[in-house]
Amino acid sequence: MDFFGRLLELDFMRVALLEGMLLSVLAGLLGTQVVLRRLAFFAHGVGAAAFPGLVLADPAGVSPQVAALATGTLFAGGVRGLDRRLARVGTDGVTALLLVAALAIGIVLASDVLGSGAAVDQLLFGTLVGLSSVDLLATAMVCVAAILGQQACGRAWLVAGFDGRGAGSPELGSRSSEQVLLVLIALAVIVSIKAVGALLVAALLVVPAATARLFTSSVRSLRRATFAISSVEAIGGTVLAYALDVPPGPAIATLASGCFLVAVLVSIGRSA
Amino acid sequence: MTARRIAVSDLSAGYLSGVPAISEVTFSADPGSIVAVLGPNGGGKTTLFKALLGQLPFSIGEISIDRTPAYVSQTERARLDFPVSALDVALMGTYGRTPWYRRTGRGERDAAASALEQVGLLDVADQLFGSLSGGQRQRVLIARALAQQADVLLLDEPFSGVDHNSSERITSVLEQLRANGRTLLVATHDIEQARAFDLVLCLNQRQIAFGAPAAVLDRRALELTYGAELVLLDDGSQVVAVQHHSHDH
Repeated sequence: MDFFGRLLELDFMRVALLEGMLLSVLAGLLGTQVVLRRLAFFAHGVGAAAFPGLVLADPAGVSPQVAALATGTLFAGGVRGLDRRLARVGTDGVTALLLVAALAIGIVLASDVLGSGAAVDQLLFGTLVGLSSVDLLATAMVCVAAILGQQACGRAWLVAGFDGRGAGSPELGSRSSEQVLLVLIALAVIVSIKAVGALLVAALLVVPAATARLFTSSVRSLRRATFAISSVEAIGGTVLAYALDVPPGPAIATLASGCFLVAVLVSIGRSA
Repeated sequence: MTARRIAVSDLSAGYLSGVPAISEVTFSADPGSIVAVLGPNGGGKTTLFKALLGQLPFSIGEISIDRTPAYVSQTERARLDFPVSALDVALMGTYGRTPWYRRTGRGERDAAASALEQVGLLDVADQLFGSLSGGQRQRVLIARALAQQADVLLLDEPFSGVDHNSSERITSVLEQLRANGRTLLVATHDIEQARAFDLVLCLNQRQIAFGAPAAVLDRRALELTYGAELVLLDDGSQVVAVQHHSHDH
């Protein structure tokens, strides 16, 4: 108890834990869509694409979120544009191509611009001490946008995920609701980067929803279970990171992967 | 409930400017009738449905329908791993008339349950869509269209991939809807089944024929409709259209 009491006395831990809870709201609302709509690679790609923007942000005197948003948007636009022209390569191939290019550019820029391996570590794997009230505010704003998006477009997302425009209603499954979903996922990825790192955004935006998907049979229960699981993993991982003096991204990812493995074993055991 | 008449005259529609996928389409159907829409892959069945749904702009011709029709998609297009029950799918039919700021309530759930009852599937309302048989899934998709409260239903190959018993259950559901005054357009490749419907519309990029099955379904019209896909059986009394499924048009 003393250990947890001491943790909560630390300002940066309170901020990190609160950030974890806010990101769990995004996991519950948007992580479920990422898993149901099979957008995990897209989410991972946006995270990796934000890396060069983050590297350049500080020397350029630009807010990291704005820089990440710019490169993330460029990435999403690039995938869309190249996907049309390179139909033979496929969306996954185009995503991989741009993801590798973004990471490579980020590393080259980091070696010349920042010259600090530690800073690159923070961008790639997250930081406990670097989170600020500005980050909390940004994540809270994306949470509000995600709640509004769910309310306005949730039914269209459900129909589009189930059978495209099968319901035949012009207002359902429209392109604009799909674009809202991709933009919200990109925003969720970008605000997750500081806490879990550009390479490990999937730890909160994909793995908890994938874990919950193993034992839920409705979208509503999937959302609730995802929120519960990601809250436990975000808080547990943050505490673990502090206790073991490791970056929070790998700690949360390890915990989330462990939980997924246990859920898979339980699921296999139940169906045997 | 009384279905509205549907009337299409001299319709040309397509995906590229100046390149119609269907042309010269003129037909009409009264309340309480079933129209079989016959045609090969790429013949324009789906293009016609898209135009009727208002999803495909067209510059030539006229479409007269009082209310937007409901579309019954092919069951193969639905994801069987998606975590939705039969009731959830039927409930989707009410989404179009539920404002975005309001959650679906008891009224919408009752309408969805009533639609499932009409297709004889209320007892599986809570079962996952993916756990149902092919024929049951097709009837759930018909229930979703019924929940839209449309007078005109467009059914895209509803007998595709279902066994004989399921096909008979679906046919009886369609007949019941016809008795209730709805107008149904059924895209099908089953020529023998089309003979049981009230009207037949033959499409092969243009309208080949339209009218009562006995008047329309002769060898010449079928050859113009299906071309090389047509196979004559035995003494020529039976014909089969051999099709490879494709959903591009």
